[in-house]
Formats: sequence, structure tokens, C-alpha cells
Amino acid sequence: MRLLNSLFLTALFLVSAAVSAQDETETTKREPGHYNTNRFKQLYEEFSTPNMFRTASGAPGPSYYQQQADYKMDILLDDKNKKISGFETITYSNNSPDILEYLWVQLDQNKRAKDSKSPLIESSDTAPADMAGNFVQNYMDGGFDGGFNILEVKDAKGSPLKYTINQTMMRVDMPKNLMPGEKFVFSIKWWYNINDHVVDRARSGYETFEDGNRGYVIAQFYPRMAVYNDVEGWQNSQFWGRDEFALPFGNFEVNITVPSDHIMDATGELQNRKEIFTKEMMNRYEAAQKSFDKPVLIVTQAEAEAASKNFSTTNRTWKFKAENVRDYAFATSRKYIWDMMAVKMGSGSVMAVSLYPPESNPLWEDWSTRAVASTLKTYSRMTFDYPYSKAISVSAKNQGMEYPMICWNHGRPDKDGSISERTKFGMISVIIHEVGHNYFPMIVNSDERQWTWMDEGLNTFTQYVAEQDFAEEYPEAIAPNKKYPSRRGPAKSIVDYMAGDQSQLAPIMTKGLNTYNFGANAYAKPATALNILRETIMGRELFDFAFKTYANRWMFKHPTPEDFFRTMEDASAVDLDWYWREWFYTTDYVDIGVKDVKKFYVTSKMNKEVKEMIAARGISESDLPPLVYMVEEDSEDFDESMRNEKLGDVKTLNEYIMENIPAEERSKLKQPNYFYKVTFEKPGGIPMPIIVQYTYSDGSSKKVTYPAEIWRKNDEAVGKVVASEKEITKIEVDPDEETADIDTSNNSWPKRKKLGAFDKFKNKTNPD
Amino acid sequence: MKYFRILLLLLVFPLVSATSAHKFYVSITKIEYVKEKSSLQIITKIFTDDIEDVLKQRYDASISLDTKKETEAADEDLKKYLLQKINISVNGKPVKLDYIGKEYDTDMLVAYIEVKDVKELKTIEIENKVLMEMFPEQQNIIHLKTPESRRSLILDKDEPSGKLKFN
Repeated sequence: MRLLNSLFLTALFLVSAAVSAQDETETTKREPGHYNTNRFKQLYEEFSTPNMFRTASGAPGPSYYQQQADYKMDILLDDKNKKISGFETITYSNNSPDILEYLWVQLDQNKRAKDSKSPLIESSDTAPADMAGNFVQNYMDGGFDGGFNILEVKDAKGSPLKYTINQTMMRVDMPKNLMPGEKFVFSIKWWYNINDHVVDRARSGYETFEDGNRGYVIAQFYPRMAVYNDVEGWQNSQFWGRDEFALPFGNFEVNITVPSDHIMDATGELQNRKEIFTKEMMNRYEAAQKSFDKPVLIVTQAEAEAASKNFSTTNRTWKFKAENVRDYAFATSRKYIWDMMAVKMGSGSVMAVSLYPPESNPLWEDWSTRAVASTLKTYSRMTFDYPYSKAISVSAKNQGMEYPMICWNHGRPDKDGSISERTKFGMISVIIHEVGHNYFPMIVNSDERQWTWMDEGLNTFTQYVAEQDFAEEYPEAIAPNKKYPSRRGPAKSIVDYMAGDQSQLAPIMTKGLNTYNFGANAYAKPATALNILRETIMGRELFDFAFKTYANRWMFKHPTPEDFFRTMEDASAVDLDWYWREWFYTTDYVDIGVKDVKKFYVTSKMNKEVKEMIAARGISESDLPPLVYMVEEDSEDFDESMRNEKLGDVKTLNEYIMENIPAEERSKLKQPNYFYKVTFEKPGGIPMPIIVQYTYSDGSSKKVTYPAEIWRKNDEAVGKVVASEKEITKIEVDPDEETADIDTSNNSWPKRKKLGAFDKFKNKTNPD
Repeated sequence: MKYFRILLLLLVFPLVSATSAHKFYVSITKIEYVKEKSSLQIITKIFTDDIEDVLKQRYDASISLDTKKETEAADEDLKKYLLQKINISVNGKPVKLDYIGKEYDTDMLVAYIEVKDVKELKTIEIENKVLMEMFPEQQNIIHLKTPESRRSLILDKDEPSGKLKFN
């Protein structure tokens, strides 16, 4: 009978709930069916089917392949005429199972050709003004022509090859198809006018110092092989100027001829060091290789200043070799100071290096090389031991750009030598960021042309970790700050972007060129999404292992976004499909709050709701099993005496305990006297864990996290019954601002009015 | 909430990013009408190096903001400049702007300005020409919040002022 009764009662409650729900939503027409729009469904529709090239686990598959391009180059930099010319021989290996009918070569400098189409895709009908450089190039006859002049393209025997140039891409037609496993050797002779990178804000070019000398930071300067792979075929999407690169790995032998008084560093190992270095430089270099705590000057400021007073008419050739790099770049000037220090890496060591003019001191001598060293340590911990021999930071005005082993960075003192905080932190941050790019995408070689976020997002995330580490290693560099003032990474820093007008937002999974807010979309949002994943969703241990697994799986390979998404799940057993969908495939935002809190009291006296229910079904109270009734504080059944009622006063409950629970276990039972039904709402699209801080009347508090999956069946609101031994005085969602909640006005119960930024400042300035 | 309408990158985007060829010349001004205080609360965020450049050219080449060399005179120059470049009319009449002060947030200068005695807000006209004489591509974005609505304006050299009507 008792069993029957409870079954009956359960059914009764369910029916009653269903009836009342129907009353509210009764419509004249039956609703149509729908697709599965659950935010927690797996990404089968978004992801491509795994195959022999790329597995479902996110690792390279058994048939994974990548092409190789090896280069031998002779480069001449004409400092007087600001020209660069080169002769290069490319050995292209077809490791794919496909037959190639032609090759695609990238001519990035054609972005600066007179007939470049880059300006044509930028706005606009009512551009109020144009950069002077662009204006001259666009509208004035005889403007600067910085495009490639291709003098010849020949095969290994010296016979001319047919080629076709389409803007920044050149198709080279081979005498016969290139079969799987075959190599094709060909050469290109070229030259171009070097641009002033300060005027046109380019990534490659020269800057002119006040003394008339120039500093050259030279990159994407030679015709470079495009990537051919299983995902894109030829990645020959045009270079419009902002997006970056997709490049195959290869080995380089490069001879660079510059004026004899220039100091240079470049991708790869210097082969003729003994020829180039003086005895003194050699001694200093040997000392630097043993100096793990501070940089050693190879060229001093006095030596750089002395060299700056002349202009050598003779040349000399620096010879470099680099293995397994995807690109090549160099920096050269007679103004450079040069310092280095050693960094322990695995069982060996690598060099942290800086090149900077006297104009960059004081500042660069203190922090550039140390920042490089610190970056290598953090990134190697988060990924893999740095596999190259060195990482170089070059001081260049307005720059922040990365190449294998070498990068250009901004940040110089004022003319009187003073250094503002923003200059110092701007400089340290950009060095950490650009050196960090050695890992993403120079080694974990994702396709930057298509997926900007894969290198910028992952790198900006790791940069945040490295900045915090740098501050711990060098507290004197950041004093009086206690933490490094990172611009990107913390969840709350992305709120303004994610709360923005939807017409100005694009999902992270958008080609970089086509995003509206490039910096926020490709750098800050993915970096923040990863930081939230690490700190709030997965925890550091699971995240770090999975992140490291991804880096190691795809080191010296070409990963896609899916390879990253899959690996992060595969290595952690955390279902992240919902997270990737919401943060990476949509422009949704987070907004979770407390909608309502109802207080309940427990009693053995039947409440009105149940009375009505049983009356409607002709049941009498005696037919029911012993029940514990919940009475809401605002309902008619409530009377003040209930406030003081203890659980022990509820007869039905007491009886049950006496009958069913052995005496020795009764004392272990909890004694909750306060009952709350908390309703959480989710005006934002993104489901996130509900992180709740409950504060009690005695001032103590407890943090509880309900996993994001709590939203799987109701996307708008969910309820939680909280049974507490102490009275709850405050409930706050996301108290530590770790979910990027865009509207915190609904985050607290009881609702509290927060003082806005304006009033806070005003009170601080004029305390009334 | 939907507070910032556009170009939020400013708050999170370095002046020269790893890949951007162009610096962004933008400021963001939030104006909130607090009816119970009859007050228009204005917070304007401008890149510190941009505003420093303009103050140097207009007033004093030795001006250095957010450094130990910053002087009170520089604050006066800043106040003078902002009050000259930002003009507001409420319900068709020009109103007086009170400059309250400024602070720095990483690489942004954040200035606080108030308009008092605004009992009612039917229309507002905002002109913000900050930095436009220096950078022709300067955009000054205005976000206005009243108890009932949120509106935005994007001001540039061609259209340095905009009018919003309520009700």
C-alpha cells in the first residue's frame, strides 16, 4: 500500500505539473519539429571527417605528409641605393601522394608594387584621408615601386621556365608533372627597392635614424614557396598586407652581402664567425655562451657609435645555415649594439640575443635579452624545449613582427633618456609576444593566412602566462606593480569586446582578413577563451597536459583548428564541443545571473498545494505516506512560527528517521534549517559553469561551481535547491570575474547597486 | 551589456600589434545620463601617446604624460584642450562641462567630465573633435546611456558632431 501510494503520488505530481504547463502555452496550432539545436551537441557537422592524414584524436595520421622547400640564396643589400637583390635556388620535394602540375611561389613584396590591388580592397567611398605613403603610391605619378622585379626563372639546367604572376602569387610551370616522391630544382633571380617601413608601417624595410644611418629589418624578401597540403591543396590565397603566411619547412643556406661596417644577425647559424668577428668579439661571444644570468655585449654602445660615423664602401658576406625553418629574415645596420646570454634548455643551452641602436638605451640593455630568455623558459615549459640555437630581438621603430629565430620589436626611451611605464611594458610585452611566435606558428606551423587566431590566439594566451612568469623572475622590472600589467588574458578584459554591437563582431573561426576587430577577434578573444579554459573550465593540470600534447604532436608540422580542438579533448577527457562551438564558432557572449531566490520552511503540516491536489483526485490525507512539506515564505501556508521550527519538530521526518536510520548514524545527519530555491538565468548565449558564492549570516562563505552542463536541458533558466545549516545573506554569481560575464548587474542577490566608474572617480577626487 | 558599439579592440589592442600595419586612431567616450542626480557623467578614453603628441604640438614640447615628468601645467593644458574640443548641447542649448580629472589605464588616458543640472533629456548634440586636427583618420566614438536606452555615434572629421533625440 505504501509503495502504491508513493507511485500514485509521484504520478499525481507529474501530471499536475504537465497540466499547468500546458495551460500556459496552449496554442491553436501544433508546433513544427526542429533540428537538434542543443548547445551541447557534438561538433560532427562543423568538423570534417577524420582520415588517414589527420586522425579523430587530433594527431597526424599514418598518411600525414608535408612538402619541403630547401633554399640556397645569395643576397646583396645595397645600403646606398636602398635596394636588395638575390639569386635563389629552390629544391622542392613533393612528399604528397598527388601529382603536381605546377608550383605556386609567393611574391609578398608585390603588395608594394605600383599595380598592387591591396589599396583597392580597403575602403572606401568617403575615406577622409590616406596615409601619405599610400596616397603617393595611389594617386601621384612616379610613386614608390617596391614590387619584385623577377629577372629570370630557370630550371636546374639553366633553361627558362614559363611563369605567370597573379598579384602576390607566381605560378611556375614545370616541363613535366612532378610525381609523388620527386624533387624539382629551379632558380629565381630578383631585385626590389626597399621601402621605408616607418612611413608605410610595413613589417619589412628600413628606418632612417637622425644621423642618416639606416637600420634594415628584412623579411618576406625572397620569392617563397606556398604550402601544398591535404586540407587546402595549394594555399595561394593572395597577400593583401594584413594577413600573414603559410610556409613549408626547409633548410636554408644564405649568404648575405652588406657594407663591411654593418652588424647583422639572422635566422640560422653563422658559418664564418671567425672571418667576421674580431678577436675581442670572439672572446666576448665565448663569455656570453657561459653567462646564464646576464647579457654580455658583443658590440658595445661606444663601438656602435664609432661605426655610425662612417659609411663603408666595401662589402663583406655573412654566411648562415638554418635547418628545419619555415622562413628566413635578417636585420643589419652599422648602428647595432649586440648582446647575448645563454639559456639552459634541456641538457644543453641556447642563446638569447638582442640587436639595438644607441637610441634604444637605456632600456634595451636592461630588458630585451632578459625578456627573450624568460620567454624561452616559459614557452618551453608550456610546450617543448626550444629546438633552435638562438632567439633574437631586434629594436625597430613601431615594429612587432616575428620570423624564425628573429623578431622586430618597438619601444624606445624619450630623447632625454626617460622611460614611461607604457613604453617599458609595451616593449617587454611585444618582445615576449614576438619571441613566443617561434613556437606558434614558426614551429607549430599553422596556416596564418587562413586562421589568424591559431598562432595569434595561442601565442597571446602563452604570452600572458610568460608575462606573469617574467614578473616573478624580475620583480624589479615591474615594481611598484605586484603583477605584470597584462593587457590581454584575464576574462574581464574581453568583456567590452564581447558586449559590442553584433554587426561588428565575427566568430573566431573567421579568416583573419575578414574580421572587423582584428586585434580583439584574432588575439584577445581566443587568448582569453584559452585562459578561461585553463583557469575555470579544465583546471591547469588537465589543460597544460593537453596543450603540451597539441604542441608536441604538431611541432614542425601543419595543424588545423580541428587538430587543436580534438587534441584538447583527447588528452583531457573533458567534453569541450560546447566550448569550442560557443567561443570559437559564434559571437555569443556570457551573461549569467540570479533571477530569483525563494525561501522555504519545512513542516509536517500539509500545504495548500497538496491539499488541492488530493482533493481533486478524491484522496484523503490518511491515504498518503508520511510527507515532509515545503512552505514558501510568501505563501498563505506560511506562519511566523515556522521560522523557529527545527527539523526535529517535523513529526513525519522524525518518525522516518527513528524507523529507518540506526541510532549511531543519526548524529551524522546534517541539520539544514534553511531552504532556498535559487533560480539562475542566462540572458547570454554561452553556457558556462555557474560559479556561486554563498555568504552566510555569520560572515563565512562557500563557493560552489555547477558545471556548464547544468544548462543542457534548459537554455534560459535553471533552479537549484540549497539546504543550508546557516542562513544565507548573499548569493553572488562569478564573484571573481572569471567567466567574462558582460552584465554583472544581475549577478547578486539581494540586488545591489554598484557604484559606477564615474562616481568612484569623483568620490576619490572630491570626497564630499 | 551592449555598451560599446564598435571597435572595442581599442581597449585590448596594442597600438602596434604583431601584424597590423596601421595604428588605430580612435577614442571612446561613454556618457551616462543619471536622472536622479540630474547629471551627465562623461568618461572619455584616449590613447595616451596620441593626446601627448597633440598637447606637445599645441602647448609645450616638454609635456610628458603618465611619467614622473608630468606637471600640473600639463593637466591644465589637457583640460583646456578637452573642453575646447568637446562640446555638448542639451535640449538645444549649449551646456557647461566641468572637468573633474583624469587617470591612466595602461596606455589609455581616462578623463572624467560632468554636466550638471540636466533635469530632462529630450535631445543631445555632441561634438567631439579630439585629435582630429592631428590625425585625419581619427574616429571618436560616443556611447550614450540613459535610463531607457543606449545609443551610439561615430564621429569623424567629416561629421564631428551628432544629435540624438529621445522619446
